[in-house]
Amino acid sequence: MGLLSRALELAGIASVVTSWLGSVTRLTKPPRATFTRLQRGATLGQPGDGAQQLRVLRATLALLEQDAPLAPITLDEE
Amino acid sequence: MPEIFDNPAEWQAQYESGWLAHYQEHGAIDWSLYPRPRNREAVGGPGISLAESRLLFVTSAGAYLPPSQEKFDDEDDLGDYGIRTIPSDAPLADIAYAHTHYPHDAVNADPQVLLPLRHLEALRDEGAIGDLAPEFVSFMGYQPDVPRVVAETAPQVVAYAKEAAVRAALLVPA
Repeated sequence: MGLLSRALELAGIASVVTSWLGSVTRLTKPPRATFTRLQRGATLGQPGDGAQQLRVLRATLALLEQDAPLAPITLDEE
Repeated sequence: MPEIFDNPAEWQAQYESGWLAHYQEHGAIDWSLYPRPRNREAVGGPGISLAESRLLFVTSAGAYLPPSQEKFDDEDDLGDYGIRTIPSDAPLADIAYAHTHYPHDAVNADPQVLLPLRHLEALRDEGAIGDLAPEFVSFMGYQPDVPRVVAETAPQVVAYAKEAAVRAALLVPA
């Protein structure tokens, strides 16, 4: 996803990715990213926890307002 | 000039002599041999006003819409590099997932852990997002051949983003 985020940014489209595997996503240097301690297969939050999913979404989407590249932001979500 | 992937030759040599050679010889995958893609240079661009922008959602969950769409080839050890586009207002219950490399328990219990379609609509309706692309982009994220991602998947995603005239994109891996 980091590479596709770069592809979109290079095409003039502001992009942001959120990842539960920041150690790997970081290597690709995406323009904007949030990292969590959530699990594979549940990237935005726990099943049934819409409030957590929305927190991750809002925090991630907020980065689109900022010029890139940005240092990845770690969210306190697990 | 920044690129999507800025050291493809070095990566390709490691991939072909290590992970791919082992797979071709033994018919089995050894992830300890896999070279993680790395970039040396960051890419950048201006921020946008999300409340005034159209957003594209991109997922690597292998989502597709049966019976009108073919599933991704999730049995191919060398990956599937195609995309599907699915209406952003599709009922979550109509969407299936072809991707054997993540557990499906969570997405089966609550699809919005990977496909936040109803959340994005709510954010649009409250004015936080200007608009949503009519469709979202899905691919199957098991794609070990990185140059193929750059040459095949990325152009398809960018082409749809341009067709949909989006200014921003949210990418959610599985």
